Amino acid sequence: MATEDRTIDGFGQVSRTVGTVFRYLLLAATLIGIVALVILLLFVANDAIQPLTADPGWHLTFFATLVVPTLAVGGYLASRNQSAAAVGVGTIGLAVVTTMFAGGLSLIFVDIVDSITWAAAVLTLAVPTAAVVAIARVSNRSPLELLAVAVILYYVSLFGVPGPLRSVVGTGQLLPGVGSAVASIPVLPVDWMLLFATFTLPVAVVVRYYARQLVDDRTATAIVAVGLVAVAIAATAAPTAGITPVPATVLASVVLLPTMTYVTTTALSRPHDRVGLALPGAVFGGSLLGAVAVRTLGYAGPQAWVDWQFLTSAHSRNAIDAGLYPAIGGSILLMLTVAVLSFPLGVGAAIYLEEYAPDNKLTRLIDVNISNLAGVPSVVYGLLGLGVFVRYFGQPSGTVLVGGATLALLILPIVIISSREAIRSVPNELRQASYGMGATRWQTVKNVILPRSFSGVLTGTILALGRAIGETAPLIMIGAPDVLFSLPADLSSKVSAMPLQVFAWSSLYATPEFYQRAVPAGVVVLVSVLLSMNSVAIVLRNKFE
Amino acid sequence: MSGDDGRTDGGTVDPTDDDLAIQTDVSASVQSRDQRVASTETVVRAENVNVFYNDAQALNDISLEIPENRVTAMIGPSGCGKSTFLRCINRMNDLIAAARVEGNLFLRNKNVYDDDVDPVALRRRVGMVFQTPNPFPKSIYENVAYGLEIQGVDGDYDEIVEESLRRAALWDEVKDQLHESGLDLSGGQQQRLCIARAIAPDPEVILMDEPASALDPVATSKIEDLIADLAEEYTVIIVTHNMQQAARISDKTAVFLTGGELVEFGDTDEVFKNPSSDRVEDYITGKFG
Ligand SMILES: Nc1ncnc2c1ncn2[C@@H]1O[C@H](COP(=O)(O)OP(=O)(O)OP(=O)(O)O)[C@@H](O)[C@H]1O
Ligand SMILES: [Mg+2]
Repeated sequence: MATEDRTIDGFGQVSRTVGTVFRYLLLAATLIGIVALVILLLFVANDAIQPLTADPGWHLTFFATLVVPTLAVGGYLASRNQSAAAVGVGTIGLAVVTTMFAGGLSLIFVDIVDSITWAAAVLTLAVPTAAVVAIARVSNRSPLELLAVAVILYYVSLFGVPGPLRSVVGTGQLLPGVGSAVASIPVLPVDWMLLFATFTLPVAVVVRYYARQLVDDRTATAIVAVGLVAVAIAATAAPTAGITPVPATVLASVVLLPTMTYVTTTALSRPHDRVGLALPGAVFGGSLLGAVAVRTLGYAGPQAWVDWQFLTSAHSRNAIDAGLYPAIGGSILLMLTVAVLSFPLGVGAAIYLEEYAPDNKLTRLIDVNISNLAGVPSVVYGLLGLGVFVRYFGQPSGTVLVGGATLALLILPIVIISSREAIRSVPNELRQASYGMGATRWQTVKNVILPRSFSGVLTGTILALGRAIGETAPLIMIGAPDVLFSLPADLSSKVSAMPLQVFAWSSLYATPEFYQRAVPAGVVVLVSVLLSMNSVAIVLRNKFE
Repeated sequence: MSGDDGRTDGGTVDPTDDDLAIQTDVSASVQSRDQRVASTETVVRAENVNVFYNDAQALNDISLEIPENRVTAMIGPSGCGKSTFLRCINRMNDLIAAARVEGNLFLRNKNVYDDDVDPVALRRRVGMVFQTPNPFPKSIYENVAYGLEIQGVDGDYDEIVEESLRRAALWDEVKDQLHESGLDLSGGQQQRLCIARAIAPDPEVILMDEPASALDPVATSKIEDLIADLAEEYTVIIVTHNMQQAARISDKTAVFLTGGELVEFGDTDEVFKNPSSDRVEDYITGKFG
């Protein structure tokens, strides 16, 4: 070997042409999809909001009061203090998303469940639950005894004594259930106070739990207590502003309480990021200032189709009077039904398949089939719902229950698959550690696997719900009406949904006005709801990873 | 299933099992360490244990007796079945679908592979520390209390948690952050946390599978000191790849060689000074393995 030949005068070049071409092709593929989607959304939003119909002065005013300060503050934060900017964006996001949820919840509390029904339902469940937990803490009963006690307590709480067993026992009703007891109290507190006790307080408990992770116990309690006072003030002061106390309570509990807590806890625990709060200040202050300014200066805003009237009225023959209210309510009710049905079933199946099922041919067959079911067209699920729930079980067609059950079947495979993914991502070392300590399977699932995978499970479920909220075909199949003029009163009344209403506007009522204005407006509302749900999912995923 | 039967407190054992109770009473008498060298009781006894993963044999006819309150080291080249043997003792092999165990393995004269043995109850009496530190994503306190909690031990855990952390030589470092996450500790601290977690329910045997292999020399020597202390109260069985470590800390040494055979088992001094076969000598002196 001629070692003396080893002298080198440079390393030469390695060709990267193919790699470069490939890289830009990938970039182009990514961009085409995203850009197409953005253009489509802008197009639709332009039709729905019609920004060009506003006075130029309107645009100028908001440009000066809102856009310039926001860009200035945002730019400053983004270049100087990234984490402060994140706090600012987080505050805005929290306020916007919670406002949307508050809107949906207000709709339910105003038009579907009144405060007494709600309070009675909460107490019916809370009283026996508290009793069972107390018994379990105090005395050392076996799980079976506890289960028996729980069954009896829930029965009494739901139906009273002797309840439906009256005919068997042969006596009259001796004790009412908790629900009817609440409803029969002669003097009830005013409705917002009931709501405060049974809705705001549970929200406060959750909020305090999160505050607790940033500040110490005492501060967290103090912050939440101040928030509760604020809710009470909002509820009592609301009528002077022309808002009834019930939606005011809901709005304050869902928006004010969490946002205030988020702002104060971050300000206390991350002093360096406090400047970030200037961003929401600029955005909300600027909007307010702009609104006052355009009103005093007399500039007209855009003739947007997505406005209060659109959100709060029902369908009408005149496109200009048409609204989405019953469809929004229907979608919310469907969503709740779907969540209640698909979450326990899906997560349960996922836990079974991941942690309990033996690895054999049968489970592998089930595996493959769940993946297949996730890809079955939604029309087929509609047909299934029609065949099973309407034809076979004789349910009336097109109700909230039937629609919710059908959509729940539709997203069940997705919930199962994403929950399994989350459960599988729990490191095996943790399972080993738990089993090695002598934990049973159930203890391992309860103490290690579920806490660790819960946010992933929740994220997957929310994303799946997002799929359900946009579905039209299954609802048509089960006979949901295209147009409803009022909200469904309960689970067995007919329901319409946002995508269905939009579809009806674009087909049955397709006058140019409907087609060009109402449909885009409906799409904007639908997509906003979807995006806010997805943003919750994304926040959950980032927070707990 | 007696799966949820908790042990009441330190020293006593599952009252449903008479054999075990009698055994423990005898051994509970206080003896100095020197005396015990002469008269030790066997805690773990393997008789002709064979383990297969599907059709591949991982352990070949292992028989040995592990004495009480001693450190017994298992050494041998990678893949010779040390971890497999350790998992036989607390039946963690049950969790591996492919694994099949034959033969008898006694813990205090009770065959742990008898039909009436509940593996979950067994694992509550045999602590295990793994190669990579694996604390739960919970607070330090909850980590240490985990064993007590799942066994349904009543009352206040504060004392036991403190005691266990002290024994694991971790108390001084973490006493002010008991309620912070166990994952915020350094690797060496996490491993000591895992040891504290393993000893908190007061097991009879502690199995350690290369507990120091992911740690730096300082953390390793802390763990080694700790193991020596633990042997005053517990029977420790440790797998290690580090010959010096085995020589330093163990009383007995078992040498496994490829093929899952136990080729040498005896007092550590003997094994390292006069290995009975050339293969063992070659392994110990680093000529292969
Ligand atoms: N879960 C398993 N499935 C199939 N085979 C396994 C499994 N675990 C171990 N084995 C096999 O059993 C044999 C012994 O493995 P074991 O893990 O007990 O070795 P070890 O002595 O602990 O090695 P190391 O020092 O590398 O940890 C190896 O051949 C390995 O391939
Ligand atoms: Mg090993």
